[in-house]
Amino acid sequence: MNNYSNIPLQASNNGADEYILNMGPQHPSTHGVLRLVLKLEGETVKDIVPDLGYVHRGLEKLFENRAYGQIIPYLDRTDYLSAMNNEWAYVMAVEKLMAIEVPQRAEFMRVIFAELNRIMSHLLWYSAYGMDVGALTPLLYAFREREEIIDMVEAACGGRLTHNYYRIGGFRQDLPKGFFDMLKKFISHFNDKVDEYEALLINNVIFMKRAQGVGVLKKETAINYGVTGPNLRASGADIDLRKQDAYGVYGRLDFKACLRDNGDTWDRCKARMAEMRESLKILKQCMDMIPEGEVMAKVPKIIKPAAGEVYTRVEGPKGEVGVYIVSDGTEKPYRIKLRQPSFSNLSVIKEITIGHKIADLVAIMGSLDVIIPEIDR
Amino acid sequence: MIKYVSEIIKGIISLMQGLGVTLKHAFRKPITLQYPDVKADLPVRVRGRLVMPIDPEKNDNRCTACNLCVKACPNLSIRTEKVVEDGKAKPKAAKYNYNLATCMFCNLCVEACPFGAIIMSEEYELAVRDKSELMIDLVAEKYVLKGKKEKYFLTKYKEE
Amino acid sequence: MDFKKLLWDLFYDTGKPLSQFYAWAHNLWMQTGLPGFILDVFFQLVIAVVIAVFIALNAIWIIYYERKFAALLQIRKGPNRVGPFGLFQTVADTVKMLLKEDINPDKSDILTFWAAPFIIFAASFGVFLVIPFGNGLIAGDVNIGMLYVLAISGLAVIGILSAGFGSNSKYSLIGGLRSAAQVISYEIPMVLTVLAVVMLAGSLKMSDIVAAQTGNPLKWYFIPQIVGLVLFLIAGNAEINRGPFDLPEAESELVSGFITEYSGMKFAMFFLAEYTNLFLTSALAATLFLGGWQGPFLPPVVWFMLKTYFIVTILMWARWTFPRIRVDHLMAFSWKILLPIALLNLLITAFLIKVI
Ligand code: SF4
Ligand code: SF4
Repeated sequence: MNNYSNIPLQASNNGADEYILNMGPQHPSTHGVLRLVLKLEGETVKDIVPDLGYVHRGLEKLFENRAYGQIIPYLDRTDYLSAMNNEWAYVMAVEKLMAIEVPQRAEFMRVIFAELNRIMSHLLWYSAYGMDVGALTPLLYAFREREEIIDMVEAACGGRLTHNYYRIGGFRQDLPKGFFDMLKKFISHFNDKVDEYEALLINNVIFMKRAQGVGVLKKETAINYGVTGPNLRASGADIDLRKQDAYGVYGRLDFKACLRDNGDTWDRCKARMAEMRESLKILKQCMDMIPEGEVMAKVPKIIKPAAGEVYTRVEGPKGEVGVYIVSDGTEKPYRIKLRQPSFSNLSVIKEITIGHKIADLVAIMGSLDVIIPEIDR
Repeated sequence: MIKYVSEIIKGIISLMQGLGVTLKHAFRKPITLQYPDVKADLPVRVRGRLVMPIDPEKNDNRCTACNLCVKACPNLSIRTEKVVEDGKAKPKAAKYNYNLATCMFCNLCVEACPFGAIIMSEEYELAVRDKSELMIDLVAEKYVLKGKKEKYFLTKYKEE
Repeated sequence: MDFKKLLWDLFYDTGKPLSQFYAWAHNLWMQTGLPGFILDVFFQLVIAVVIAVFIALNAIWIIYYERKFAALLQIRKGPNRVGPFGLFQTVADTVKMLLKEDINPDKSDILTFWAAPFIIFAASFGVFLVIPFGNGLIAGDVNIGMLYVLAISGLAVIGILSAGFGSNSKYSLIGGLRSAAQVISYEIPMVLTVLAVVMLAGSLKMSDIVAAQTGNPLKWYFIPQIVGLVLFLIAGNAEINRGPFDLPEAESELVSGFITEYSGMKFAMFFLAEYTNLFLTSALAATLFLGGWQGPFLPPVVWFMLKTYFIVTILMWARWTFPRIRVDHLMAFSWKILLPIALLNLLITAFLIKVI
């Protein structure tokens, strides 16, 4: 009777209370087209199998037929909330292959946009998460600030969601006039807004009751599954690539990785909130430290890296964004593998939801902050 | 017992805080932009659809059908046809077929063009009723830019 | 008869002209020699139609009001396209609903599936019988008014259950079961708070409860029963399945809960019932705690509406601020927090009544 084709899940017939519930691919809280097949007993989750691939576009194969410069816009379409970070990981890889030195101003700009991007992503997470747990108002508040950032980014690169701004060797264009005024205005009031977000949702007793002690992700489990980003740091592992690799100019900036101890849903939320504040600090420092000068290095017209392979990674809003390039010395890459955080972050869901209620499943799913196009690519 | 009561009180305080936040916002001005009536003031770098504007100095477009944009486009959205008019050294594009359906507004073609012949306009309301309308011949269109974008185009992407 | 006096009576003492009119009509009818109950049935029908029209108009307004109020809290503008200030938005939506296809899901249990919206609607319709809108403006002032309210509004859960069962969808079923658990467990604190008020007033009759509070705002029951008012609002809000207690239709978990499979007019019925229930809960709170229709200067109906909408606003404010409660916390909240407080409230009230 239960013919869920590829899903190896069967309600046992002797325990009469078990049943299979198909959640998604069209469901209000799966954030796109993720399908979860659940085995439930009453409202308690007994087993869970995610079914992926609904938005698979074969990007990695597509890359093999594109010149190096043409790949950048596609990266915006994997995790569309952290486009800048994805681009950064990729251009850094090519620069490493070709040993290109990026000008200082461009390095600072990269940090600025990466951090703006991180705030953008976390704001969207916050608003979507509000919807997940049934609060409808946070969405509007968070989008107000997100709009401000998007306006900044739009002024700089012309795109609102798919930025295509980073280039191999630096940037397409320098910052527009008036960018720093906008940034200053944003920095001046954003901290208060984060306070508001916390008062409205995160510190609300109803939400705290729902989130504390729910979906506990142990440090070891997280590391074993390759969970990265705020999810990992909420479990207490001090891993922040911005600190560890100190790529770009992160080494010169003063900030801290936002650690929490418990690894439950609430900690993951708190970690993201704290990260927004940290990002703001970084932005402030960058604004003071950014030098004048070129934004584009001397790069040959036709990009043709020597044969070889390289792996670079950056700390995206959701975790480690890695790009692995194999070059065979031609204009087109031989193979590109993207390592993106959502896949690993989702894979841990079975470990942390079994035994909880459906409502918790939604809360846990939301707190992991997965993006479906990034999983499927 | 004390824990029970204090927890209730703490809960009530946190609920009040939330109510306070929404109450505060009740007195703020709405952020709505009444979209079709009021349109946002877009920055000059905004990437709408591709156009090939008329250069008022030449009274014609600047394209020489060199096909660099075609090569730059990751999605193969552009196809050109070249003609060489009698008595002129430079070739011209007789046709410049731009496929709006596959374009992803990445701006790579604009960056590739050595003559600054194409630019992404401010147009973003691009829905059409028929798929065939998505194939646009930019040469035949004889697009005339206006406002900020015109200056941007004439000065070859310099901002004042 | 003095026309000015009649007008005054119509607004401020509505019961008198109405009963005069009834007596006059009855007299006239009796002269024809036909049995009297036909006239009574006719009058009942008129009342039913009036209530139905009121429900429809009120729902249209209250939905518009909720959307505008939510927009206010969410720093946006809300409906403003159809008609002046978007006033006709709900009308347009209703027309859309009416024109939509009415889908019956495959393998649904037709009887329960169809009965559900009507049961739910009938439950909220029935309660209107004993709501005192103004001085004497009450359809049937039965002497067990409050008991009747509790009994009839409890019927809605049958509708929700049958919607959940009849839809043949797991989401609907979970929603229906959640709702049953929720309504039953919140009925108890609600009854207890109502009981405290009834003890103060010494009567279950709605008009007596209003009269006992007198025209003096300091004597209204929200002062001695402030805890009771809060409890009543919480329990009442849970009873009508609205946020933050909207678990039966929890959008992010159960798609739309027990209404998932409904469309067209049946969906509209659910919607209508939800907003009618919101109005009813607020009206009850206004009647029990805020002195009902009593108030200075303005006609009683206006006072009643003002108070009701004040409560409606508070409930909406809570809905648009708080996240949803989880199902087991919901139960724990009712049994571990609301119930003890309600009992305590009842005991103290009883004690104070005896002492004072
Ligand atoms: S914007 Fe990008 S996709 Fe569109 S035509 Fe130009 S290069 Fe091609
Ligand atoms: S638009 Fe520019 S790049 Fe493209 S064919 Fe014409 S001149 Fe060459």
